[in-house]
Amino acid sequence: MIKEKSEHLFLNNIDQAFEYQVKLADLSISAVDLEKLLGYESGNTPVFYHEKIKHMWEEAFSKVAIRVGYIILPPDQFHWQQTVLNCGKVKFLSGKIITNQLRNSQTVAIFAGTAGAAFDSWSKQLFDQGDFPEGYIADMMGSEIVEAAIDWLEIKIRAKLQQRSLKMTNRFSPGYCGWNVREQFKLFSLLPEKFCGITLTDSALMVPIKSVSGIIGVGEEVEKIGYPCDVCTMKNCYRRHKHERDL
Amino acid sequence: MSDTLYQRLQNCIERGKVDKNSPYPPDMKGQDGAVELTQQALAAGLSPHDILVNSLMVGMKNVGERFGCGQAFIPDLMIAAKAMNAATAILRPHFEAGVGVQKGTFIIGTVAGDLHDIGKNIVKMIMEGAGWKVIDLGTNVPTEKFMTSLEQNPEASVGLSALLTTTMVNMEKIVKEIKTKSPSTLVVIGGAPVTDNFRQRIGADAYFPSPHLLPDYLSQRS
Repeated sequence: MIKEKSEHLFLNNIDQAFEYQVKLADLSISAVDLEKLLGYESGNTPVFYHEKIKHMWEEAFSKVAIRVGYIILPPDQFHWQQTVLNCGKVKFLSGKIITNQLRNSQTVAIFAGTAGAAFDSWSKQLFDQGDFPEGYIADMMGSEIVEAAIDWLEIKIRAKLQQRSLKMTNRFSPGYCGWNVREQFKLFSLLPEKFCGITLTDSALMVPIKSVSGIIGVGEEVEKIGYPCDVCTMKNCYRRHKHERDL
Repeated sequence: MSDTLYQRLQNCIERGKVDKNSPYPPDMKGQDGAVELTQQALAAGLSPHDILVNSLMVGMKNVGERFGCGQAFIPDLMIAAKAMNAATAILRPHFEAGVGVQKGTFIIGTVAGDLHDIGKNIVKMIMEGAGWKVIDLGTNVPTEKFMTSLEQNPEASVGLSALLTTTMVNMEKIVKEIKTKSPSTLVVIGGAPVTDNFRQRIGADAYFPSPHLLPDYLSQRS
């Protein structure tokens, strides 16, 4: 049964794309978080790595070019089915895990974001010159920065939705939770061309590499619950590692 | 004296003390590092082979084992590899002609369509640290490039990396081509979406979610 859509789901400027340039200082991420990602518990980081991360974090400020953005699909273009999300002209074969999580959605927000191209080359340069720990740290920083940038964007989206008593689900990206990464092409077809400076290769790889995209369910009766890592077969997923770290 | 030098050199590898100027580890600041001790070992008449086997490789193996049981982390592995590489660079010219530092040759690349290289770089670093010559083909490597490199290095083993489900499928084509032309070539695969089931399906020889056991595996089977 298709749920009747409430009138106040009509958002001003719906389907308009919003894009932001974000400063690193505005993100909820710190050098201490990065130390934990290397495997060191709080207070146990060797001084060398503590100082190294601190210096590289300062250097990261000059390397990042963080861009994030989203659109919210008009509710009349969204239709939920058991394993399929119909979004305008696009049919996402997102699979059971994701469609279950978006079950009560009345529409979706489609988002993308990037830490910028400089991180791709920074890590490679450090590895090429034999600075292996530094290369690894730079790569890790890029990944954490883009995720933190999307966290920042989620706060923005939530604030907008709360004005209309609407809620949101977790975010889901192609390539995770059973959603084929090839569906990136469909996702980006719903966004303006080169949105946030991101393009896709023939194999659906986002460039710059330190980029994230996905969807978030929106509605009156959706909620943000834990990622269903227990039922997923992808053992090396960064979300599983994050989930286990947060536990 | 040789035992002391071996022990000190091994310690430099394990602790990642590259040379005298290296600030890490802080409690070894100002002390001779892997570079200086390797030079001293050679000057003392110890053979390059013995230096490599009796101290450098022992140090790397110990770090790898500690990493495997969660007592060391990736940065520890990496700084040890950096010290190892610095030491082997000193040894290399001293080996007799025709007798290499290397235990073998390992060709590695990220498969066609994929630009991720962090996993590949970690594997490369570990293999070089373990005394292997690594031919790094880079990222987005087509089948033909793997085959050309294998033709030039027929005794080599091959490692394939992929981080996307869309690109790991390219591993199947490469494995098939290699096994058709050179059935005895060992092919190992890795990357976040890769599983051992997938490895079996495409006919690769091994799958390593974590690379620290790879050098021993290849040494035993090469």
